[in-house]
Amino acid sequence: MENIPEERIRHIHLVKVHDLTLSFPSAKGEPAKPVLDKLSFGIRDGEILGLIGNSGSGKSMTAYSIAGLLPANAKIEEGAIKFRGKDLLSMKPAERRKMLGSDIGMIFQEPASALDPLMKVGKSLEEILISHGIKDKAERYNRISDILSTVGFATPEKIYERYPHQLSGGQRQRILIAGALLLSPKLLICDEPTSSLDSVTTVAILDLLRKLCIDMKITILFISHDISAVKNFCDRVIVMKDGKIVESDTTEDILMRPKNPYTAELLTNARLDPRKLELTPAECDRTAEPVLSCKDVSAAYTASLWGRWDENRVLNGVDLDIYPAEIKGLIGSSGCGKTTLVKTLLGLMKSEGTINRKSDNTGAVFQDPVSCLNPSHTIMWHLKEALRPYKRQMSKEDIQVAIDNAIETVGLDRGYLNRRPGELSGGQRQRVAIAMCVITRPKLIIADEPFSSLDASSAAEILKLLAKINREHQVAILMITHNIHIVRAVCSTVAVMDAGKIAEDGTCDKVLNSPESDATKKLLEAENTLHS
Amino acid sequence: MGRQAGFIISKILELLATLFLVSLLTFVAFSVIPGDTAQVILGPDASQAQLDALRSELGLDRPMIVQYLSWLGGLFTFNLGKSAAFGTPVAGLIAERLPVTIGMSIIALIFVIVISYPLAILSARRPGKTLDQIFSVMGHILFAIPPFALSLIIITIASALFSGFRAGQYFAPSDNFGGFVGCLILPSFCIALPKIAMTFKYMRSSIIEQNSSEYVKNAKGHGLSDLRILVKHVLPNSNVSSITVISIVLSDILAGSLIVEQVFNLPGLGRLLLAGIARRDFPLLSGMVFYIAFITVLLYFAADILGSIADPRIRLK
Amino acid sequence: MKDPRSKSFYIAGFILLGIVLASFILSLIWTPYDPNATDPASKLMAPCAEHIFGTDNFGRDTFSRVMFASKYTIFISFAGVAIALLLGLLTGLPAGYYGGWTDRGIMLLSNSVMCFPGILLALVAVAVAGPSMFNVVWALGLVFAPTFARVTRVGTMEIKQRDYIMHAQVMKIPSPRIMALHILPNLVGTLLPATVIGLANMTLFESGMSYLGLGVQPPDASFGKLLADAQAYMTRAPWLIIFPALMLIIYILGLYFVSEGIRVRTQKGGV
Repeated sequence: MENIPEERIRHIHLVKVHDLTLSFPSAKGEPAKPVLDKLSFGIRDGEILGLIGNSGSGKSMTAYSIAGLLPANAKIEEGAIKFRGKDLLSMKPAERRKMLGSDIGMIFQEPASALDPLMKVGKSLEEILISHGIKDKAERYNRISDILSTVGFATPEKIYERYPHQLSGGQRQRILIAGALLLSPKLLICDEPTSSLDSVTTVAILDLLRKLCIDMKITILFISHDISAVKNFCDRVIVMKDGKIVESDTTEDILMRPKNPYTAELLTNARLDPRKLELTPAECDRTAEPVLSCKDVSAAYTASLWGRWDENRVLNGVDLDIYPAEIKGLIGSSGCGKTTLVKTLLGLMKSEGTINRKSDNTGAVFQDPVSCLNPSHTIMWHLKEALRPYKRQMSKEDIQVAIDNAIETVGLDRGYLNRRPGELSGGQRQRVAIAMCVITRPKLIIADEPFSSLDASSAAEILKLLAKINREHQVAILMITHNIHIVRAVCSTVAVMDAGKIAEDGTCDKVLNSPESDATKKLLEAENTLHS
Repeated sequence: MGRQAGFIISKILELLATLFLVSLLTFVAFSVIPGDTAQVILGPDASQAQLDALRSELGLDRPMIVQYLSWLGGLFTFNLGKSAAFGTPVAGLIAERLPVTIGMSIIALIFVIVISYPLAILSARRPGKTLDQIFSVMGHILFAIPPFALSLIIITIASALFSGFRAGQYFAPSDNFGGFVGCLILPSFCIALPKIAMTFKYMRSSIIEQNSSEYVKNAKGHGLSDLRILVKHVLPNSNVSSITVISIVLSDILAGSLIVEQVFNLPGLGRLLLAGIARRDFPLLSGMVFYIAFITVLLYFAADILGSIADPRIRLK
Repeated sequence: MKDPRSKSFYIAGFILLGIVLASFILSLIWTPYDPNATDPASKLMAPCAEHIFGTDNFGRDTFSRVMFASKYTIFISFAGVAIALLLGLLTGLPAGYYGGWTDRGIMLLSNSVMCFPGILLALVAVAVAGPSMFNVVWALGLVFAPTFARVTRVGTMEIKQRDYIMHAQVMKIPSPRIMALHILPNLVGTLLPATVIGLANMTLFESGMSYLGLGVQPPDASFGKLLADAQAYMTRAPWLIIFPALMLIIYILGLYFVSEGIRVRTQKGGV
């Protein structure tokens, strides 16, 4: 038995983590709270294991411990990590570095900046092979071409000559996967590889990883904060909190029958389920004159180099009508022109075509709760500033009453008026932004993804608030979102945008249940795979 | 290719527009603001006949636009007329003083690059550690010392310590090239010190920034060694972003040499400038000011072009 | 989360600045000797009990002269920065906010001014207008204005992208009001370190000009002027060089440290 070399023993577990404890001791040597606390788990050969937890749960540090990429001030207090039976923690740094790439591959979160901007992607990949001692130039080139076609590039020789900025986010993520798989490692660690990609690209990348896992017999450790991302992807899931394992089971069991209350909480928070909110939007009359009507609206970003115009046409003949008290959803994948359309409708961007507004008074709520309010001024100042155009016709008392009403409508008490945005939570700020719209009694509010950076419970509250305002003030709302559930729950009609045009427009029921355009079908398919 | 050509053409147009504005500003500063140049040169006691004679000699009786165009033409043919104070052609006076200023700038730039780059690489290896802290504090202190004050202090201390020390020796490059370079070394070093601090600070933070970037993390994840990452990824990226800084440093060095050569009694452009100012020699001053600005504009232009060649994000689309 | 380095920069900076400011404030009410009183009996005296910084070739007390000079150095730096800041805001805000041709025009002008090495421009301005303290102040103000214009412009362009400015535009707030009340208060964080650095650079320039005899004119004095006067006696009376040079360096270094403290804090604190 003793004579059999370690490599020949067949291991059930590719990686075995045993009692791993990790901390960041302060410079003064005081004992610090461990980031990983006696963590033990195994990664089985050939499986896709999901590692789920909120930020600070220690999931990334677990991955870095296995890869040997811990920050310099991290200290492993105790425990062992075994890779195919070999103890990783007792190895020399140079040996561990050699394992990276050849035994363990890694992909990170930000494909946008994970490639050297000055180097052709082919050269970047070649650097990896040179570092691992492959001296023959022709061999390097062949291996790179092979891996590039494996990750789905039809013309590897062209991609080889490209610079990172010439590629899309999805293409760059493919290059990174190619780099990680170049030396056929056994384990691939993916640290939130899809969190900055849109849903269509995410589905494509996950499909690719799944295929590679089978074809190249790779084991994958998949790290994510989003429990829904692991759904159709991982075989098994480990849920982490505060450096400990909360629960570990097959994906199906975790998602359908969570045993731990924390897992259940993660599951409910991950998805805002508007169906449970029982929203009742206002009845709208689609025979009345529209509050906003666009005919053949086009817009382009231009950049000029001393007389040479570079034109990037983003809107290409948009037709859109919004009727009084209607809540209209606007969906589309990233880059389809949603944000540009919002700017155009608000008059912040020049456009061609006709836009008829029933009144000049349009409210707006934007995506980012951090930058929606001016950090230098109080909430009171914000509301007064919103009333400025009407100040002449209003007495001091009128203004006071309007401010009180507005702040009450959005469910904040008067004590908030003297605070500054820095003292408010994201949800509260969005409420103030809504109050700034409501105070001027607009006929239309344009809400540009107002929920996307809020947690599920705040998002639900804001959604309820918008529905209430719609009902009580008979305001029409154009709701730009990427979440189809929100559209289903609150919108009466929905328009789908694709490549600067409205691909489909109609009642929710019709568009979402029997889509006609390819853009809608593709979008629904991706959403269903990820979130249904 | 089309994009790079477009970029270079736009930069050349910008260069020409800037040069035009620079020449206009210089002309306005010396010919319009001070009032009657002839009066300024001859003083308040000059007779009307003397004034008229000088005016027609200098061409001051012509319309402004004609004066400007002829001055502009002179700039490009190196024919700027005679200096009012020295009585010899301005271009000759400038050419005579150029070696000292250029020599000092080159030596100072060598000091800056040779000293600041290695220190920055060393410092950025372990940011926040003792070595880095010492370098950084020293950098702040050096940055705060005006080069002329530093020169004065060094001369004061050196002459107190070594009785044989003499500042202010000068050898013409045609007579004794070694001596010429030798007498420029100390002044160049004094000009270079604050710029070493500036370049060090910039390079250090640039390397640290690159080190914490995603692509370095990614390269580490592929098993590349730290040295290889430094040489192949970090330094090229830092260099591209430091091109602009170097061009600013060089123009600062050029300006700094104008003052420091006064301390060391060196016959460079600074002395000529002061002589011109003292004698209100406007033909000389306007020529010098334009040419010095011209060199600066060219430096910035060169930095832009080099940057666009080195960075594919500008070069290609 | 405060970076501890920011605190040590502040402490060091304020101690150094305190030395110069204290000598300035004290000089307004008291100096050991009249800074301009000559005394042929005590020419070029080395530092001693009566004259702790020694005396110069006219027998003037160097300690009193250094205190006296701090006033001019400090005044010129503050007045020059005030002018530069004002000009920078008036050009940088519209350039950053409106963009397009407004931006291009303003930036071309400011870049052209920046093509003249600053010290050269200031020297020439003073040469044309005649050397005097007020000419030095406006010349330096003019020379530094493009720097502030750039900082303001970049800051404005960045803040313009924020949603609250889009909000203000949707609410039809007039542009001048947006610039003054919505953007300017948020620029303080960027302009403050630039202003402190500006003070230091202004002092560097002023001392250089005064050293060349084109800055402060007698009987006034600044640190640079003291150094110029002392150069002829530097081997015989090194104290005439050392003390003014030290004060000059202390003032500039103090300003750098304070600006560094601000920079480190705002960078790590994430405003």
